[in-house]
Amino acid sequence: MPTNRRSIIAWLLLLGVGAGIAWSLVGSDLPKADFTFINPSEVKSVDPALITGQPEGRIASAIFEGLLRYHPETLDPIPGVAERWEISDDGLVYTFYLRDNAKWSDGTPLTAHDFHYSMRRFLDPRTAAEYAYQAWYLKNARRYSQGGSGIEPGDAVEIELNLPVDAVNTKRGEVLLAKLVRVEERGEDERTFIVQLGDEEVAFCPTDDKTAATSEPPKDCRWCRQVLLDFREVGYEVVDDRTLRLTLEHPTPFFLGLLAFYPFSPVNQACLEKHGSPTWTDDEHIVTNGPYYMEFRRIRDRIRLKKNEHHWDRDNVKLDVIDALSIESITTGLNLFMTGEVDWITEVPPPAMRVLLKEQPPRDDLNPQPFLSSYFFYFNTKRKPLDDIRVRKALSLALNREEITKRLLPGGDLPSYSLVPPGIPGYTQQKCAPEDPDEARRLLAEAGYPEGRGFPRIDILYNSHESHQAIAELMRKQWQRELGISVRTRNEEWASYLASLQQQQFNIARRGWIADYNDPNTFIDMFLSDGEQNNTGWANAEYDKLVKGSSYELDPEKRLRMLEQAERILMDELPILPVYSYVSKNMVKPHVRGFYNNSRDDHAVWSLWIDPDYKGPNEFLRGRE
Amino acid sequence: MIGFMFRRLLWMAVTLWVVFTISFFLMRSVPGGPFDRERALEPEIKKNIEKRYNLDKPLIQQYFIELGNVCRGDLGYSFRLGDYTVNQVIAEGLPISVALGVLALIFATSLGLIAGVTSAVFRGTWTDVTLMLIATLGIALPNFVIAGICIILFVFKLPIFPAGGWGDFNQLLLPAFCLGAPYAAYVARIARTSMLDVLSQDHIRTARAKGVGPVRVVIVHALRGALLPVVSFLGPAVAGILTGSLVVEQIFAIPGLGSHFVQAALQRDYTLAMGLVLLYTVLLYVMNWIVDLSYAVLDPRVELE
Repeated sequence: MPTNRRSIIAWLLLLGVGAGIAWSLVGSDLPKADFTFINPSEVKSVDPALITGQPEGRIASAIFEGLLRYHPETLDPIPGVAERWEISDDGLVYTFYLRDNAKWSDGTPLTAHDFHYSMRRFLDPRTAAEYAYQAWYLKNARRYSQGGSGIEPGDAVEIELNLPVDAVNTKRGEVLLAKLVRVEERGEDERTFIVQLGDEEVAFCPTDDKTAATSEPPKDCRWCRQVLLDFREVGYEVVDDRTLRLTLEHPTPFFLGLLAFYPFSPVNQACLEKHGSPTWTDDEHIVTNGPYYMEFRRIRDRIRLKKNEHHWDRDNVKLDVIDALSIESITTGLNLFMTGEVDWITEVPPPAMRVLLKEQPPRDDLNPQPFLSSYFFYFNTKRKPLDDIRVRKALSLALNREEITKRLLPGGDLPSYSLVPPGIPGYTQQKCAPEDPDEARRLLAEAGYPEGRGFPRIDILYNSHESHQAIAELMRKQWQRELGISVRTRNEEWASYLASLQQQQFNIARRGWIADYNDPNTFIDMFLSDGEQNNTGWANAEYDKLVKGSSYELDPEKRLRMLEQAERILMDELPILPVYSYVSKNMVKPHVRGFYNNSRDDHAVWSLWIDPDYKGPNEFLRGRE
Repeated sequence: MIGFMFRRLLWMAVTLWVVFTISFFLMRSVPGGPFDRERALEPEIKKNIEKRYNLDKPLIQQYFIELGNVCRGDLGYSFRLGDYTVNQVIAEGLPISVALGVLALIFATSLGLIAGVTSAVFRGTWTDVTLMLIATLGIALPNFVIAGICIILFVFKLPIFPAGGWGDFNQLLLPAFCLGAPYAAYVARIARTSMLDVLSQDHIRTARAKGVGPVRVVIVHALRGALLPVVSFLGPAVAGILTGSLVVEQIFAIPGLGSHFVQAALQRDYTLAMGLVLLYTVLLYVMNWIVDLSYAVLDPRVELE
């Protein structure tokens, strides 16, 4: 072949290499952030209405702020955008007074109307907010968010008309107010809503914008996007620019705490309606109201936060630039922490934890502390032999929880004999009986399986993870040793495992739960007979009565006693098998100040500061033996 | 030649369609959906989300809707990274993987060639044995083992490189080395064999007889001929490096396509996983195509049929 052709190929190759290297260098020169932490997974979104996870929450609570926010140490609700509030004597009406100097990150004022807009959007079925049920403590909020299924004849309703197909997807169609007369089924899954509009009766058929634009509606019918309860019926009203009045379904002692939760953050209507969803969350468009704003976001690399100079509390926000690295591998995270690249990691691989905790003198950047959480197993009470309470008790009595935590959980997680973890003021945990192998054998024999003979083959289901596997294996061994029964273990990857739980395709299945708010209710209401988390098939009328009754009880003492009684029932009947409660596994550099171990392992970044010269133990090390 | 290219293009389209169809039905046949989570969704709300992503329609209808979209180049929104379209994710991730791949390739060829040529020249000596032993190890060891060893050596024992992340050149070197190492080993073995072959040929003997220095003989006279088999190995290697960075990207926390792919598969991100599968198919196809073409250019005996 001719030489010149070959050299062309060689040159092209060289050029490609050069271009590649130049390309790889783009993006360097990033100035170092003041504070860097690892968010162990890429956030799904930064739209506060659409997210549910912990990593998402860390970002959302930095760039957004609701009426209230959490105190970084106690997690009590403290003033956020609202500077003060009043609660009526019956515990049903909350009035919030907003600050005069609350602003968006573009400098425009933040008013009660913004909160109203955001709450309506949050509850709108078209938004499909997963956390919408957190707002159902508001009067009629549940019915509003259920759309067409939440209304009955006689209700005041709003009809949202269709927009052209190319309209910005966050814009609302024209809204007509009417009274619902009746609902007619039309074909499968479709309904016609007949409403009283002014003097005449009009039928509306909900459909999407595309169908509405291209085809004629059925006879005597008009197209619309949706028919739902009139939002004025929902307990969320604007009194004036600076005042909001919220009305609840029933007194809810933890409601203030819920309001500080990120889904209740306001979003900027102008920004949303200009760019549409999800484009408005792009770093160049997004307008937020928190102590920080998002300077840029690179997928699976980092989110860079910068201090919001328009925030009302800017003088108390000390860090200027924060990097949240999204790194999935916890080993990589630990490497970065150890080499000083990051200041805070949220998780430590168990083998490393064992070594790190043994170091002498003790490390000044590690301090595992218990928080409100519970690791337990579901019993499927609909299947033999677990439908027999004696069998469930025997399995619990034969379990050596100390051995599990000592051998497998180097972080120091605590053996647990109750659903509700320790640490809720005023509440006494109701425990099941501690380990007693003799009693276990007796109960098992009484149930018809002396020395485990004839015991059906059952399995323990867990989602694929090393530590869950180790625990399930050890439980299997303990039961084999003490009861002579043989149990198998079965692992499924996360999504399949959730599907199996929901379809009750298991005998015994692991579960973990972290408190949503500081109240036993967050654990106990899981096991209502219609509770969405209750996959055990267990139902108890007395339990339901106590838990539901407690939400109407105004006396906090009495209320906690009712919840205690409910947990007593749960621990007597044992549809679940408590094993341990978690400890937090953060590592925080000694120069980081204002970081506290707290009851939900929930840490805001706005209260942190860096003190490079600080020598003493920082706030994070408090409470260490 | 034109006919050949056209036929290849047609076959690529067919392959893409088959890959699309298989992945589509495989993804939907595993239990659990993209919207299953610890908190069960209210049925009304779940229905709304499913409607948005057409998941409420019969499977076959979903298939045709999605096929239509893919044909128009619209891969849709990622299910899990809700703020991004699949095209955006690829646009951000591909340059990173390419940059990593190019550097890995440079490591692979330069290290491989040096080792291969050296051991050919010192054939039968301890140098040769040692280098080839290292090369065999490099092929046998998976790159996550190499990565682990490298991290212990060059991050902790001898702190010259960062443990991971992305953004400056320093962070790129270690992962590129680990990614390129097995390929360097292959290149070394190929280069050694072809170098030995060339060194025993007549024109080398002639050159030596004419008094050309040993270095010049190796670099000018022998290396050119010895390069050909290496070049033909590099074509598929490029595709391999670009698609094979899954593990290395995870270990070094590099936001390239590899990490997207792993997470998309684990989290049931149907649209993103599909987009990446199709992208990898195209990459592999194009690379093979280029190799075929380059054979024809490099070697006149090959005719493209």
